[in-house]
Amino acid sequence: MSSPLEIPEDGWWDRNINRRESIWLGLSGIWSLIIFAWMSAFTRIGEQNPIGVTYQVSAREYQEKMQSYKEAASERGDALVPPDTDVFIAAFRFSWDGTPVVLEAGTEYDFHLSSYDVQHGFSIRPEHALSKQMNFQVLPGYEWILPMTFDEPGVYHVICNEYCGNGHRTMHGTIEVVDER
Amino acid sequence: MNLDVLGLFDNDYDTEGFRTCSVTGLKIHRSAENYVKLFGLTAVVALLVGGIFAFTVAMTRWEVVGLLQPSDFYIHLSLHAWNLLIFWMVFMEIAILYVGGPMVLGRRLPITRVAQTGYVSMVLGALVINVSIFLTSPPDTAPLLTAYAPLQSPPAFYAGVILFIVGAVVAALPFFLTLWRERREYPNRSLPLVAFGAFVTSIIAVEALVGGLITFVVTFLWRIDLIQWMDAAWYRQMYWTIGHGTQQINLAAMVTVWYFLTHVVGGAEVISEKVSRTAFILYLFFINLGAAHHLMSDPAVSVGWRIFNTSYAFYGAAFASMIHAFAIPAGLEAGRRKRGKGGGTFGWLTNAPWANPVFSATIFSIILFGFLGGITGVVMGQMQVNMTWHNTFATVGHFHGTVAVGTTLAFMGLVFFVVRTMFQRRLSFGRMASLQPFFYAGAMGIVVIMMMYVGILYGVPRRTAEIVRNIPGTEFSLQAASPLFAIFGVFAILAITAGTIFVVVAVASLLIGDRVTGPEDNADLVPDGGAATDDKPVHAYEMRGTFLICLVFMAVFIGSYVINWYVLTELWSVGV
Ligand SMILES: [Cu+2]
Repeated sequence: MSSPLEIPEDGWWDRNINRRESIWLGLSGIWSLIIFAWMSAFTRIGEQNPIGVTYQVSAREYQEKMQSYKEAASERGDALVPPDTDVFIAAFRFSWDGTPVVLEAGTEYDFHLSSYDVQHGFSIRPEHALSKQMNFQVLPGYEWILPMTFDEPGVYHVICNEYCGNGHRTMHGTIEVVDER
Repeated sequence: MNLDVLGLFDNDYDTEGFRTCSVTGLKIHRSAENYVKLFGLTAVVALLVGGIFAFTVAMTRWEVVGLLQPSDFYIHLSLHAWNLLIFWMVFMEIAILYVGGPMVLGRRLPITRVAQTGYVSMVLGALVINVSIFLTSPPDTAPLLTAYAPLQSPPAFYAGVILFIVGAVVAALPFFLTLWRERREYPNRSLPLVAFGAFVTSIIAVEALVGGLITFVVTFLWRIDLIQWMDAAWYRQMYWTIGHGTQQINLAAMVTVWYFLTHVVGGAEVISEKVSRTAFILYLFFINLGAAHHLMSDPAVSVGWRIFNTSYAFYGAAFASMIHAFAIPAGLEAGRRKRGKGGGTFGWLTNAPWANPVFSATIFSIILFGFLGGITGVVMGQMQVNMTWHNTFATVGHFHGTVAVGTTLAFMGLVFFVVRTMFQRRLSFGRMASLQPFFYAGAMGIVVIMMMYVGILYGVPRRTAEIVRNIPGTEFSLQAASPLFAIFGVFAILAITAGTIFVVVAVASLLIGDRVTGPEDNADLVPDGGAATDDKPVHAYEMRGTFLICLVFMAVFIGSYVINWYVLTELWSVGV
């Protein structure tokens, strides 16, 4: 009787292990190694990695950056067209500063993400394929530079998915991706 | 202190204060038993409170009903989370420590004054948290669990959290003292596996709670203006030591309960002490690193840090869970075969005592935790896949898969067991009690799957009152997710009904249930076939049924993994 409520008999460490349990241990161990190796390798070979440079920045500094970015940007309708491949976006209750913005498909942009006040969530998807979505945390005090290249033209919607107050659900922005000329 | 209320604390003890349990054979001291009952009852009250808010929250997210205003929603969501994810779980866990320590070792609960102080502090903390959340008004916001600074919550809330955490640490002290005394008296004895599991749980718990104490004391000081600046990245890293750490306590406690209940009501044995204990040791070293998966889509943490924490080290814990995933059903299989209850590949499982809700709750907990909570936890914990899960409703699906079905079912089974063996009451509404775990597991399982689908397939955010049919200020909507939300809503009502049945059965049994008069009243709790007679070692029994189940599990795991990676690689490119 080997009960989990009783003190195990002497020599329990040296008892044999059932053959099938040993096989399972092997399978589980190998699987753990595979998923580790894949995740690590994907940072080198993969196209989708949440990796970018982060700088500390105060809300005021970031507001100034946003100001000079907007001055350099041109406008199309009510949307900004960035002067080069840097795109600045700032979250604040309850809006995305820097949107709407018009970008070109196939161009690699450096997205600069930060917040003026509290934490927000940058959740983005094209309106023609909702299942294609990704999500990033936006922190006040930090500027995250995340390169992105959109393959397909279309309107991409940004929703805040980190609770930031009662108006949280209204926090919505758009990114229009157009064909490159 | 006289604890005898409504005749709930009046078992027959000998002059030393001990009695022998007719089901487990454990020598139980009055002090330990009374505190297990006290903490267990308090946990059920928290479950009831949290369950009420489960209803209002689910009926708001199902926008066809749209019960609450956005301003109320986050308050209700916060109350739902604190009462279920923290109070229901942590009060149960202290009870589990007292079972795993004093009861299993046949000792009295030492320093009961300290246990009492811890209890009072926890209850006060819980009350303060509930009231402060309920009364939240601008500029403060309700905290949910995360209370992400620099968003600010009422100062009383942070104070309540500190009170609760301190209380939990204090309540754990009698358990540690029990183990320390046991070691001093018998320095060369190993602990029984259940006590060992409880010990590992308690260490993980203290790590998490101390981390939480640091976090919330600093945050409290910030909130009352003694500290000027609150760094969001610092807060996130620190917060998640307790934020996910508490869930690791749930996991370790739940696994301990699995070993305990499959043994006492199913006749399971430990097929390898070495393997099971090694798995617990792996938890001890690695499981708290699993918390890092909350920071996978964050700035301000380095890539190396993220890969080390979630991948390299955290899979030490995932490996440990896969070990238990075999060891526990295999223990049941071998134990039942030994008692002549084998029969083919799955006979040991099909002829098991399914009518006993303690048994069925435990088995559903194991299955649903593994398939719904465990797999998704590892998949979303991969740094890249995390981008598609982070802060979507799918995350909510993951943790409902771990705690709302997994841990909650295991603890429901344990509550039924405590009602039968410690309160010595037969279950009222016997047939309804028998069906309750099936009803709850089935309905909640579907709720969980719907949550994952709407999150992954439509990117529906979490923490939002309504957004599917209507995002104010834009034409854009996530309307396509509505049909899945309809299924979600209907099954959420069913799951909450099943939860209500649990509370009704538990409370009715205590108040009006028939008293257990002799061992024959609890005969159905003792594994059938009696004690095994042959001396064939347990590892020599067939485990092919378990092996097949585990292979199916592995196939689903690999399938989910591949699908999630496929979805990810279909996205536009991001990152360096
Ligand atoms: Cu926001």
